[in-house]
Amino acid sequence: MNKYELPEKFDYKDINILKQFITETGKIIPARVTGISASNQRKLTRYIKVARFLALIPYTDMHK
Amino acid sequence: MKKYEAVVILNPNLSSKADDFIKDFEKLLIANSFRVLKCEDVGRRQLSYSINNHNKGHYLLFDIEGEAPKLIEIENKIKYNESIIRHLFLSVKNHSGQDSQLLIDSKNKKHDSEEVTTKEDKKKVKRVKPKEDGDNEDEKKNDKKEKADIKDNEPSSAEANIEDKDVKDE
Repeated sequence: MNKYELPEKFDYKDINILKQFITETGKIIPARVTGISASNQRKLTRYIKVARFLALIPYTDMHK
Repeated sequence: MKKYEAVVILNPNLSSKADDFIKDFEKLLIANSFRVLKCEDVGRRQLSYSINNHNKGHYLLFDIEGEAPKLIEIENKIKYNESIIRHLFLSVKNHSGQDSQLLIDSKNKKHDSEEVTTKEDKKKVKRVKPKEDGDNEDEKKNDKKEKADIKDNEPSSAEANIEDKDVKDE
C-alpha cells in the first residue's frame, strides 16, 4: 500500500494533489519517501514551486 | 506561435471591476497579436501568504497563443499596473481545454457559502433584535432620569409639560 498516488495528468492548479506531497511545514517530501517515479517527482517539484509563487500553497508555516 | 497559460492575481479591492480588467487585458493581448482561447474567472481566493499586505486575491486564468517577443512587451506593460499583485506566464505544450480544478473548487465553495450566508443572515436578525431592545431600555432609563431632573429643578411648570408628554406617549 502506497499512500502517495498521482493521477496521470496533474498541474500546478491541482492543489489538493500537491498538498499530499508537502509536509506540515511546507517542505517538499523527498522521492525516497514518496516512492513515485523520478519524472513524476520532477514535475511535482516544478508544480509545487509554481503554486507557491502564486500563493496557492505556502512556502513555510512561518508566514505571518 | 507558442501556447501559454497566464495567471493574474488582481487586487481584491478591485474585484468588482474584474470584468472591465478582463476586457482591457484581452484588448492588450489582441493588440499584441495574441489569441485568447479561454478565460477563467476564478474569483476571490484566500492567499497562502500575504502579498503587498493583501490576504485575498482575485485569480484570473487565461489560455493564450502568440509569439514570445510580444509576451515581453505585454509583461513590461503589466509590471506597472498596480491592480495586479502578481502574474505569471507559463508555456505549455497543450491547453487542457477543461475547467481547471481552481474554478471547480471556487464554484463548489460558492454553493457552500450561499447556504452558510443564509444561515448567518438568520442569526444576524436574531442578534440584532435583542440589541435594539437593549438600546430602547437604555433610552427609557435616560428619559426617566431626565424627567426626574426636570422635576427636581422646576417642579411647578415642568410637571404640566411632562404630564402632556406622558399622555402623548400613551
